[in-house]
Amino acid sequence: MGGGNLLPVNVWLGIDMGSSSIKGVLAANDELIAGVILPVVGNYRKQAERVMEMVVEEGQVSVEDVKGVGVTGVGSEGIEVKGPRFSEVAAHVRGVMAFYPHVRTVIDIGSQFTRAIVTDGGGKVRDFIVSEKCATGSGRFLQIMARILHIDVSEMGPLSLKALHPVEFSTGCAVFAESEAISRIAEGAKPEDIVAGVHRAMASKVEMLMRRVKWEPPVALVGGGGEDTGLLRAIEEVLKINILVPLQPRLMGAFGAACLAANSHAPIS
Amino acid sequence: MPVAGIDIGSTMTKVVILHDNGEIAGSLVGPTGAEHRRLAYRVIKEALSLTGMGADDLAYIVATGYGRLNCPFADRHVTEITCHARGVKAAFPSARLIIDIGGQDSKGIKLDEAGKITDFVMNDKCAAGTGRFLEVIADTLGIELGRMGDISAQAKEAVKIANTCTVFAELEVTARLAEGVPVADICAGLHDAIASRIASMVRHLKVEGEVVVTGGGAKNTGLTSALSRKLGCEVQVPKEPFLTGAWGAAIIAKTLVDRGERGKMDRKWAEVTFFQ
Repeated sequence: MGGGNLLPVNVWLGIDMGSSSIKGVLAANDELIAGVILPVVGNYRKQAERVMEMVVEEGQVSVEDVKGVGVTGVGSEGIEVKGPRFSEVAAHVRGVMAFYPHVRTVIDIGSQFTRAIVTDGGGKVRDFIVSEKCATGSGRFLQIMARILHIDVSEMGPLSLKALHPVEFSTGCAVFAESEAISRIAEGAKPEDIVAGVHRAMASKVEMLMRRVKWEPPVALVGGGGEDTGLLRAIEEVLKINILVPLQPRLMGAFGAACLAANSHAPIS
Repeated sequence: MPVAGIDIGSTMTKVVILHDNGEIAGSLVGPTGAEHRRLAYRVIKEALSLTGMGADDLAYIVATGYGRLNCPFADRHVTEITCHARGVKAAFPSARLIIDIGGQDSKGIKLDEAGKITDFVMNDKCAAGTGRFLEVIADTLGIELGRMGDISAQAKEAVKIANTCTVFAELEVTARLAEGVPVADICAGLHDAIASRIASMVRHLKVEGEVVVTGGGAKNTGLTSALSRKLGCEVQVPKEPFLTGAWGAAIIAKTLVDRGERGKMDRKWAEVTFFQ
């Protein structure tokens, strides 16, 4: 990655307006030079403006140095900026390609949406599928389970890896699984076994999506789900492959939007 | 001798006791909780004491519902579909469709002219379309489940709820509340959402004729009127919709006794009392 102290040239800003957090990224020549994530609270538009101010500050550039902005995310209509808008699918693929140009399939697990995207190997999307109708395949399921276990979502990955007897849920519904988990805890089930059971349930949903898009390796996992090592392992187990995860998986959409904005304005020489 | 029907549901345990002549001697509804057996015993004992009877006065006990197998003192276990059909037929002889909205599932039961079950559909895979959906969202709205019907009656314009999933609908409701949408309009929208889900489930049964709604969901007038609108007919609700299954179980118990069947001489109450 480029040295933070050098004056970056050709800097582009990407912003990803998600359903539970807003992500901002500065990118220069396909490198991620700064990133900021804020939760969605209060005024959506003001929060997006704060993200942009913060990322410019973090990247140690002045506003004048930013060549342009690219926007993506389900809430991309909620922000007023002059700049192109990109679909979440296009943005995520572009972001991942900058890190791993050989990746064929991208899994994006966000708080409300889970996507499986297959490319033709040259960065072009061949097919994709979005799960948005059921919470079981989404990050929201993790948040619900973390709440009843009185732990932070970030603790779930390491906990899950310790599990010896993962709980097998009898239901595919997050609401019913929540009650099932409560009874299992009352019966003495260990938190790690509950969490590992949740990860397995999610992984089998992901596998279903992957089968429908006819996935191909190599595979990358991005979005908040990419930060969960337990979920990563569960998906690796059902797909029987190793999965690539970029250093900051939640920033891939915003990063991709910045790269795409740069491409659309500066012809590649 | 009197008989009893006990319906052990996912959230509530219901008991109906019938006199020799078939009239209801007493009934009781109590929470199911985690320990089915002990609570089933407690509810049945309390119902007996309300009628001035003792445990040994019962000639026959039929257990039904999701927890029916956790009832060692029952003489027979009968599925809730059969029991609901019997209970509904007793109160509504011309009923052709029963919609049972329970705490953790919802069912559609199709009946022929004689009240015999010819088909049924069931959703227990997803909380949407079950009582659980309303329970979760009543909690988010900070209102009692029992008041949702009355509150929705004040609605000026029902809000459209776009999400089917309970978890996402809950987020949607939170967003509407933040926008200042009145709670009544949200409640009405939720009733519409669950009613369309149930209506599309029972449509597969292709039923024409009288529709009776039972289970906890039937106590919600907002939900039953939304169902009437979606189905295009006025749905009927029993006086005690909670008790339909237990009543049907008690009627079956009485029929069996009348036919000469005899209940256990030595009921295993003790096994229940000392259950861990």
